[in-house]
Amino acid sequence: MASGQIDIRGVSKTFQVDGRPLVALERVDLDISAGAFITIVGASGCGKSTLLRMIAGLERNHRGEIRHGGQVIAGPSLERGLVFQEPRLFPWLTVAQNVALGLENAKVSGETRRRLVAEHLALVGLTGFAQAYPRQLSGGMAQRAAIARALVNRPGILLLDEPFGALDAMTRAHLQGELQRIWAHEGITAVLVTHDVDEAVLLGDQVVVMAPRPGRIAEIFPIDAPRPRDRKDEDLIRLRNAVLEALDAIKDEAPRSAVPH
Amino acid sequence: MTAIDLPRPAPARALPFRLLAPAAAGLRDFAIALALPALILLLWSLGSAYQMVPQQILPPPAYVFENFRDMLASGELLQHAGISAVRVAGGFALGASLGLLLGIAMGLSEAIDDYVRPLFTAIAQVPTLGWIPLLMLFLGIGEALKIVIIAKAALVPMVLNTSAGIRGVPASYMEVAEVFGFSRWQKLRRLILPAAVPPIFTGIRYSLTKAWTALVAVELLASAEGLGYLLVWGRQMFWLDTMIVAMVIIGVVGFAMDKILALGEARLQSWRIDA
Repeated sequence: MASGQIDIRGVSKTFQVDGRPLVALERVDLDISAGAFITIVGASGCGKSTLLRMIAGLERNHRGEIRHGGQVIAGPSLERGLVFQEPRLFPWLTVAQNVALGLENAKVSGETRRRLVAEHLALVGLTGFAQAYPRQLSGGMAQRAAIARALVNRPGILLLDEPFGALDAMTRAHLQGELQRIWAHEGITAVLVTHDVDEAVLLGDQVVVMAPRPGRIAEIFPIDAPRPRDRKDEDLIRLRNAVLEALDAIKDEAPRSAVPH
Repeated sequence: MTAIDLPRPAPARALPFRLLAPAAAGLRDFAIALALPALILLLWSLGSAYQMVPQQILPPPAYVFENFRDMLASGELLQHAGISAVRVAGGFALGASLGLLLGIAMGLSEAIDDYVRPLFTAIAQVPTLGWIPLLMLFLGIGEALKIVIIAKAALVPMVLNTSAGIRGVPASYMEVAEVFGFSRWQKLRRLILPAAVPPIFTGIRYSLTKAWTALVAVELLASAEGLGYLLVWGRQMFWLDTMIVAMVIIGVVGFAMDKILALGEARLQSWRIDA
């Protein structure tokens, strides 16, 4: 299994918006230990998705350093799987072919390839839908297929960018449970970005609360509740309220200057 | 007139089998599509029966139909249609394949697009007919002229649709390819070309339609055979029945080709729902 350790050191990122610099992230430090489930929560514009995309290797040109298993991240890698908010399945391929896309550059034989695809479809509960096309799937099923595609290389890290944000409440609750099971089963490191505080507290070993303008880490809440977790657990509800209060405090705070020095 | 006298199909819900509903809807659309042609045929019959227009100028439908049967029986019609079909096939194959290559190149490379597109747009603005006098000087009035004119007509929509299709591959899919470390070739083969198939097919459809109309234009001006020639010849000899037969054949063949390709296009687009 690939390494699951991520070290983020002094990372800043500035975008040019209409010719003016906009600080998306300012001096972010974060250590993610192997096998942990980290959730990142914050208002829109706090740079949480940008941070996740940097870990994935999709956003370059930033200051500071992000290391995965000691190696500086310079671009995407099969060692890190990414699930987007939308499933982004290729509509002209079947579910099995979509999952196999992840193995396009993996050095595995055809036999292993078929086995890996079948195993990961089973892992997300889509065995019967291998030959279905994306348009035949519900939103929740399509997102399961996207998770299978991200995991098929057996990466050390699974990155999830608001993966359940577009789903209805019932499906979302169900997939949150599924994700906990998959994470435990694979022994993988998971980093999940969300704007849903309940989701962050339910899934995370640590909840990283980010603040906007400029994007930065405001507070980190450790969540020690035993797994599998129940969203009605009183400890979790207390923690959820604490996270909500932290977010409220950020909202009331006067915005700092977004122009870099 | 039977078309508009057909009983209106019952609403889909009333049918015993839901499978019949699309067939019934198709039948109704067919009947509606025939309503206007039937009306025109009626006016035409009345016009010539009551001598509102002299028969030399507007022969009655029955006379035109008879002429059509004679031309069909003598093989004359098929001979002209065959010649036209070969020209369209050649010009279309040449123009559409060049258009596909140019469209792919312009879609993939910003630099090629920057160099080629301004000139291409300017050339595309000059109607096909406008090219005929100049090309006649270079190519004469033989088959080469016809093929080149038809190819030019077919090339333009092919280039536009292909390059737009390739440019239109969603950035969100490109990111998926990036995450999996796809090489340029893998991106092309696994993502860009499959994603561009529906717009390319739309290009093929317009390309063939344009090739067909260009054929008639070039045969009108410079030919001694073919359906377009039949039209000119009919007019020159004042055989208006022959002329009308040629017009109807041109229209029906063009309509049929477009309809068949539109069906293929709809099938290809079906996966786009929910994409």
